[in-house]
Amino acid sequence: MTFWTLIRRSLRFHARSHLGVALGAATGSAALIGALIVGDSVRETLRMRALQRLANAYFALAPADRFFSPQLKYSGPGLSEEPQGRFLVRLPSPPFGASSTDSHYSHKTLPPYDPTAMLLMLPATAASASTSVRANHVQVFGVEGDFWTFAGLAGFPRPDTNSVVINNALAAAIGAREGDEVMFRVQRPGSMSRESAVMQREDQSIGLRLKVAGVLPSGSGADLDLKAAGAPAMNAFVDLRTLSARTGLMGRANVWLSGPIGFSANLQPKGIEKLVQYFGSLWRRLVARRVSFGAPFPLASTPEALAFLEQELQRDWTLADADFKLNIAPAPGGMELRSPRVFLEPAVVAASAQLGGTNSISILTYLANLISVGSNATPYSMITAAGPPYTPAGMRDDEIVLSDWLAEDLGAKPGDLLHLSYFLPDSGANLAEATNRFHVHSVVPLSGIYADRTLMPDFPGIEKAESTRDWDAAFPLVYKIRPKDEQYWKERKGTPKAFITLAAGQKMWANRFGNLTAIRFDPAPGTPRVQAKYWDWFKIKLLAILKPEEIGLRFEPVREQALKAAEQSQDFGQLFLGFSIFLVVAALLLMALLFQFGLEQRATEVGTLLALGFTPKQVRRLLLVEGVVLAFLGGTIGAFGGIGYAKAMLWALTTVWRNAVGTSALHFHATPGSLVIGFCASTIIAVISIWLTLRKQARRPARELLGGEVQSPLSRVHSRGGRIAAAACLAVVGIIGWAVAKGETSNAEVFFSAGALLLVAGLALAAAWLSSLQRKASSGQFTLADLGVRGCARRRKRSLATVALLASGSFVILSIGVFRLDANQNASKRSSGTGGFALIGEATMPVVQDLNSQSGREAFGLSANDLTGVGIVQLRVRDGDEASCLNLNRAQKPRLLGVRPDALAGRFTFAKLLKGSPNAPWELLRSSRGDEALNKNSAFDQSLLTSAATETDEIPAIGDANSIQWALGKKVGDTLDYTDGHGRAFKLRLVGAVANSILQGSLIIDEAEFVKRFPSESGYRMFLIDAPSNSVAQVSATLSRALQDTGLELTPAVRRLNAFNAVQNTYLGTFQVLGGLGLLLGSAGLGVVVLRNVLERRGELGVLTAIGFRRRSLQKLVLSEHGALLGLGLGIGIAAAAVAVLPALLSPGTQLPYASLALTLGAVLLNGLLWTWLATRFALRGNLLAALRNE
Amino acid sequence: MPLSAPLLKVSNLTKRYDSPDSHGSLTVLDNVSLEVGRGESLAIVGPSGSGKSTLLQIIGTLDHATTGEISLDGKNLKELNEIELAAVRNQQIGFVFQSHYLLPQCTVLENVLVPTLAGAKRSAREGAGTRAEQLLKRVGLGQRMDHRPGELSGGERQRAAVVRALINQPQLLLADEPTGSLDHASALQLGQLLVELNQEEGVTLIIVTHASELAQKMGRVLALKDGRLMQSP
Repeated sequence: MTFWTLIRRSLRFHARSHLGVALGAATGSAALIGALIVGDSVRETLRMRALQRLANAYFALAPADRFFSPQLKYSGPGLSEEPQGRFLVRLPSPPFGASSTDSHYSHKTLPPYDPTAMLLMLPATAASASTSVRANHVQVFGVEGDFWTFAGLAGFPRPDTNSVVINNALAAAIGAREGDEVMFRVQRPGSMSRESAVMQREDQSIGLRLKVAGVLPSGSGADLDLKAAGAPAMNAFVDLRTLSARTGLMGRANVWLSGPIGFSANLQPKGIEKLVQYFGSLWRRLVARRVSFGAPFPLASTPEALAFLEQELQRDWTLADADFKLNIAPAPGGMELRSPRVFLEPAVVAASAQLGGTNSISILTYLANLISVGSNATPYSMITAAGPPYTPAGMRDDEIVLSDWLAEDLGAKPGDLLHLSYFLPDSGANLAEATNRFHVHSVVPLSGIYADRTLMPDFPGIEKAESTRDWDAAFPLVYKIRPKDEQYWKERKGTPKAFITLAAGQKMWANRFGNLTAIRFDPAPGTPRVQAKYWDWFKIKLLAILKPEEIGLRFEPVREQALKAAEQSQDFGQLFLGFSIFLVVAALLLMALLFQFGLEQRATEVGTLLALGFTPKQVRRLLLVEGVVLAFLGGTIGAFGGIGYAKAMLWALTTVWRNAVGTSALHFHATPGSLVIGFCASTIIAVISIWLTLRKQARRPARELLGGEVQSPLSRVHSRGGRIAAAACLAVVGIIGWAVAKGETSNAEVFFSAGALLLVAGLALAAAWLSSLQRKASSGQFTLADLGVRGCARRRKRSLATVALLASGSFVILSIGVFRLDANQNASKRSSGTGGFALIGEATMPVVQDLNSQSGREAFGLSANDLTGVGIVQLRVRDGDEASCLNLNRAQKPRLLGVRPDALAGRFTFAKLLKGSPNAPWELLRSSRGDEALNKNSAFDQSLLTSAATETDEIPAIGDANSIQWALGKKVGDTLDYTDGHGRAFKLRLVGAVANSILQGSLIIDEAEFVKRFPSESGYRMFLIDAPSNSVAQVSATLSRALQDTGLELTPAVRRLNAFNAVQNTYLGTFQVLGGLGLLLGSAGLGVVVLRNVLERRGELGVLTAIGFRRRSLQKLVLSEHGALLGLGLGIGIAAAAVAVLPALLSPGTQLPYASLALTLGAVLLNGLLWTWLATRFALRGNLLAALRNE
Repeated sequence: MPLSAPLLKVSNLTKRYDSPDSHGSLTVLDNVSLEVGRGESLAIVGPSGSGKSTLLQIIGTLDHATTGEISLDGKNLKELNEIELAAVRNQQIGFVFQSHYLLPQCTVLENVLVPTLAGAKRSAREGAGTRAEQLLKRVGLGQRMDHRPGELSGGERQRAAVVRALINQPQLLLADEPTGSLDHASALQLGQLLVELNQEEGVTLIIVTHASELAQKMGRVLALKDGRLMQSP
């Protein structure tokens, strides 16, 4: 005979009563394990989706505004020797999921996957020719065969010159099928920003009508998207040559996908390394079940791989990839560096400055709209700003050298005052014109260096025009072009007519794109200028000095980032743990209750053991071990139950709770870790619950226990309960009084606190009442119901626990509804989550016009009457990860919006601010230098073009509070690392959080900073629109029609906010449902209490039978006792919840879900009554007189 | 300790119960003093509510006296803590109650061995099985050792309870109405068994009983009336 024998015997003997305990533990365990599995499943789904959207890419070079040659992928050997003698190599990507966490990679496992792929990606809209349904925000990819093999799409149809292959997301959006025709409107990128005043405006997009050759399935590489978003991207794949030819981007690509980078196995491992490698391979083959043959390639670390890729790019890139070219230039200088982007980027200028042994001449040539002296004027002339020999040394910045043609045309002579008008380069579609005054310094003949037509940069739309009539420029030709001007153009094209100092020119025309249009180099006096060897040296040297990342050509470890985003995603395990907490607690309480009852039944056993010399501690240990076994058993059953629970939750998340995750595809995935953690945690929690139950066991004297007495002696709770209730009630009154006095009647948190205190007060009162019932004698008429109610006091703690469970449950379920968000509430107010805006719009292609101006509206064919009373806040967009609740991934680099802070003044409500006046929180966005970049009336600060001025900068940013907390995992005051369009790192500091708004998903910075950091992001792609409430639909229709070609998609702001709110509301609904389940379980616990109470009193009930009570009367007696507990619990909960929901009740227009709440409470009440009735029937069956005789 | 010294000495023992509403108190035992020698058998008789069981439970350390002292084998039980009292109950005292209180989940033999589990020393359990079997055979339960209590008659259960009380070779065996729930024949049989075991095991026996027939089998009979102990008439 051992302790274990005794425990085993007890477990077997009390199996029936233990079954309830084990099931209680199993329920708690199932909810806990299930929650963790839900977390696993969501995380794994996100991980899989992240890998799918990368189409096998590990690294990607995808500059926002640059194009490079697809030939780059062939130019290098793809090998890089390391000092240790190993070689780094590009490896083909494995299929999705395989080797994702491996540190090794085996090349023999796979079909011939391509290690890299070059694509041309352009934004577009798509419309099905048959259904006319249009989709915006489509990604059109120009692809070759390399992408098909890279992305593992070898088995699928490929596009040819007349066809397109689309992914399932796009097919579903426009209702297109194989064989259908689809119309695409694809953005045609320009070589320079559309916002430049001299950039052509026409042909910003091209149309493609293509036949669908195939629809690629979901979950394939066809969902390629380099940014994390909630939903799969809508993609179309067309032939690269077709797309590049139609968009004028022949031989160009802008996305370079690369597979993993690994070390070649040219060195055989030795000794222990070989052993480790062997076992690693064995493990992958046998345990991880990943196919592995041959010697594995060790994968390079991310920094090693990035260094390798950058090294490769640096070695192989050409001038064209850097978007500049080296031309033979007329004297002075033998070579000229210029760019199709018109302005040379600061990094290029800086690199050329580092070239030794050259004499360089910096040149800035720009268009003057009008040059006038007195009443004489010459229209549309190029002016070159440069130092000697174009302008004399020592010439002042307010002086100008005129060609004799211009001097003659203007009738000007040295010393004359000249007016020079020009468009401010950054004024974009606004075409702001400025005028400067110069004094004529001298007149030079239009010959030699002054007759150099190549000084004019390659202005798109102008450069190749045969006549001024053919100019395709952004500006209207408002000044009259005379025949002599036309003749000049025909003969001399853009030969400058005047020259000013470089400083004077840069003061007028430096802009965010650069401050030079060319640099000319004169190798050395006496050196043959056009010497091939020298050119090669120059190119190599320049490309070696200039770093690709300085002009935005930077590989990103997209796979690592995506996996990180998935890994750090919203933890649904924790979330569902929170949602299920009431269910878990109810299950554990039920378990503890059943265990307690079991112990009470075994009081004599405990007394016997004590009498036989066992110490109370020994007895408790015996019982605890029994409890541990039960908890273990419950945990084991719960592990299976948890799998079912998780599957049910996943089903609900993809159907009825779909709003919370925004997806219909969540895959079940349980990790052994979660099962083990959940099992251990639930078992430990169950054991702790049992231990807490046992703490007071075996403390009663053995003689009492032997007598079967388990009832507590009378306590002094009566007086304490009253005092606690009084104090809590006072606090409730105080809180509500304070809220009314301070006008905080809509503060949900305050009233929730008051409600919770009222709950405490109610429970304390209930305790006091039960205590008084225990003491008081009957006064007046004594009824059967009285007798029943008095029975509540027999087991005061048991009764109180029942009331507390029901009251807390009903309180939580009812009051949690106050946190439901309703976007319709105060939607028109500027302080609301809509910011008072009626519509929110997003365009696929940028709009460079000011839609608030007449000219801007006219550009889209809108008349003054079309948009009466409409105001539009335009926002610039830098694409990035979607940082809203609709994207479950942790956003690594969220989308950036640029807006003028004053445009949002007084809009939205701030949840938190880092500093500054709450009266003008949007002003926090303004940086000290930001406005300079946009100030059209002052000269551009050229220091902004140098890296030294900005590299340590922090930019203030504001985001939606939910985005900051949940999507980014940050808080106000934190910083985020970004890289600007020049490849320079900078930080965003979160200075404010907007409460629950339509701004979710992005971070907002000052527009001035935006254009400085991302000069090539032209135009506006997001719009917040104010419209009269009675014409919102009409405004929406008008704007959508007018801006159709930009892919503008307008959504009512309220609808957008409701979509965001739906996430929180769904979470609350989930909590209410799972809490309701817990409450139902709690009411089942009431049945157990009833059963136990009645079974304990069968003798007493036998006496009542003996003295003439009928069975029905006894049922009424028992029901009245337990009905009182049920009513008391629900009553306290409802009263407390009523206080908590007061703000919602008092708020006009609030639609409380009365029906569902009533249904829940009704179900709880009925369930409680049902259990009580069942328990009563069960306990009162049989011969009660026999029970009496047994007593 | 000289052999002549009493095994049990109860001095001026009083037990009072306070009423729940603090209105007065009820004195159950009033200044009771008693000495019981080693190997002696003593019966305490008296009417219901006279405090017989309370006296036995206080002697058996299952209850505490309001005032007074109890010394067992020279140890003042009042000075012992709960753990030491449990050890006294386990090693020095054996209990037989009116109800058998056998654990229904265990066999007769296991029930008998349950007290051996409470001892801290594993060595103390050595030989307990053999002794249990011998004692069970001695009381006529040799064939019933593997039976559950539910399979035994009332008399058999009570005999098993007696064996359980003796398994740790206690110095003092306390029996509280041991025959109270038995039929006459079984009661006589059990009474005889207790007397025999008292002599065979040398254990001091104190029985609280209503049954005069059983009481008369004891070496000494004391009566408890209104909380006071007196020589039985």
